Amino acid sequence: MSNQHALRPARIAVFFAAALLAGHRLMGQQPPAAGAARTPRAAATSDLTGYWVSVVTEEWRWRMLTPPKGDYTSIPLSDEGRRVAFLWDPQTDGSCKAYGAAGLMRMPTRLNVSWQGDAVLKVESDAGQQTRLLQFAPTSPPGARSLQGFSVAEWEPIGGGMAGRGVRGGGPPTPVALKVVTTNLVEGWLRRNGVPYSDATTLTEYWDRVAFPNGDVWLTVSQYVSDPKYLSAEYTTSMHFKREPDGSKWKPAPCRQT
Amino acid sequence: MRRIDSFRLALLAVTAAITASPLSAQGPPDSGQPPMVELTGSWAMSNDEERLIRVDPGPELGNFTGFPLNAAGRQKALTWNATIQAVPEHQSRAHAATYSMRGPGPNFHMGEIIDPVTRRLVAYTITGLFENANRTIWLDGRPHPSEYAEHLWNGFSTGEWENGALHVTTTHVKPMFIQRNGIPASPYAVMHEFFIRHGDRLLLISQVDDPVYLEEPMVRTSTFRWNPGQREGGLPQVEVAEEVPSLQQGDVPHYPLGSRHPEYADENKLPFEATLGGKETLYPEYAEKLKQLMTPQGPASDRRPK
Repeated sequence: MSNQHALRPARIAVFFAAALLAGHRLMGQQPPAAGAARTPRAAATSDLTGYWVSVVTEEWRWRMLTPPKGDYTSIPLSDEGRRVAFLWDPQTDGSCKAYGAAGLMRMPTRLNVSWQGDAVLKVESDAGQQTRLLQFAPTSPPGARSLQGFSVAEWEPIGGGMAGRGVRGGGPPTPVALKVVTTNLVEGWLRRNGVPYSDATTLTEYWDRVAFPNGDVWLTVSQYVSDPKYLSAEYTTSMHFKREPDGSKWKPAPCRQT
Repeated sequence: MRRIDSFRLALLAVTAAITASPLSAQGPPDSGQPPMVELTGSWAMSNDEERLIRVDPGPELGNFTGFPLNAAGRQKALTWNATIQAVPEHQSRAHAATYSMRGPGPNFHMGEIIDPVTRRLVAYTITGLFENANRTIWLDGRPHPSEYAEHLWNGFSTGEWENGALHVTTTHVKPMFIQRNGIPASPYAVMHEFFIRHGDRLLLISQVDDPVYLEEPMVRTSTFRWNPGQREGGLPQVEVAEEVPSLQQGDVPHYPLGSRHPEYADENKLPFEATLGGKETLYPEYAEKLKQLMTPQGPASDRRPK
């Protein structure tokens, strides 16, 4: 009996130690890997939905109004691209060609981003009244070419895509960013003055959301336009949008069908 | 004897449990820290936006489009004279952190400062910026200095990881500009930057919050491409020489208060008031106002405010 009493502290201690170890193991466990058996909507590590307004702090002169004919400053046009740019008719200003996927994000506009189901992000613009559908693992074929093309979306680990070189260390799962690749486009304009991109264009985008300490939340869309026909090099831009509390400033304005 | 054994056993079990857990959590270096993305290496500016402004010849006098300037900022910007750059003391002056990541270029190298004992990452360094405007981004949790501490061209920067991005906060920057045509930044400006890596591309989102000269924080974005063979520019990039013989010692080139620079508006057929910046001009609604201002009522210069 006395021996049993003598062992009791040891049993308690062993139990306590086991609980400690188990607790630490549980704490050390990582949540399921992003995207593993989860819908794209559930795998998001940042919320891109809501109303966003473009804040034009860069290339103001080329974005807030239609530049003059032949002003393709900063765009790496090929000879063929320049030739086509000079064919632009100012009477077509306002054409929907300026609101295709490769030009739309540079417009002074508001965006309304929402989930359409669990695997499609819908991006609507009030300028030009366009809708882009960013589809995760699409099951249906691209269909006919269109102004907004066929956009395939994926969550890519931030820093990833570099075969192990991008992310280092352990820790919790790496946050993901939205990567979108758009093809199947009809010809459109990079600028409202008819600077063209062709139907062979591939548009690659990254969508990032950040929150500044003053409470402002921003969405940044980095775009990389590759066009073997009208561009001599990749055309790189990045646009930023500030989050708005609601859609009270949403002002749809259609573009001109030309 | 039994009592001693059981006591020892208890002590051993508890000690083992307490010590084993932190060890198992350590794993490889840096694990247990927030996610860290490899940012070191050479990065080349790859943005096609504002190429002529960000490289050379630089922004035009009086082009304040896209900047949320307040009245004080506008007044100061209008007194800026580019000849100030030709004063010997300014010829090889570094760009302040509020501008150095914008231009010229820049192509830069991101390096590391490693604690020699613990091998922990203490800071990132950014080198290769114009006139050695090198930056250090402290990652070891040190606080920013007192507001009365010395201000430097590169300021004082600290960084922390947020959702896969490096968030850098910079204070203590000397008063200079946020654009190379004199758009000012005061010593009270605070800059927040997010470095976000996507494979071999790097996105930099920066916000300059200046209560003295801006109506609202100024946000800009830049993109860079990983460029391992790159060698950034060395020092000195500018040989100091007497460029303007007419300048006397002590002269400070400037335009007097009340000056106006309508040339940019005239050349680009823009309403003069639209070129003066301001918060209102940055949002989509202003495109409508701009159309109204540009109705055919004569040349832009005739519509300048009297």
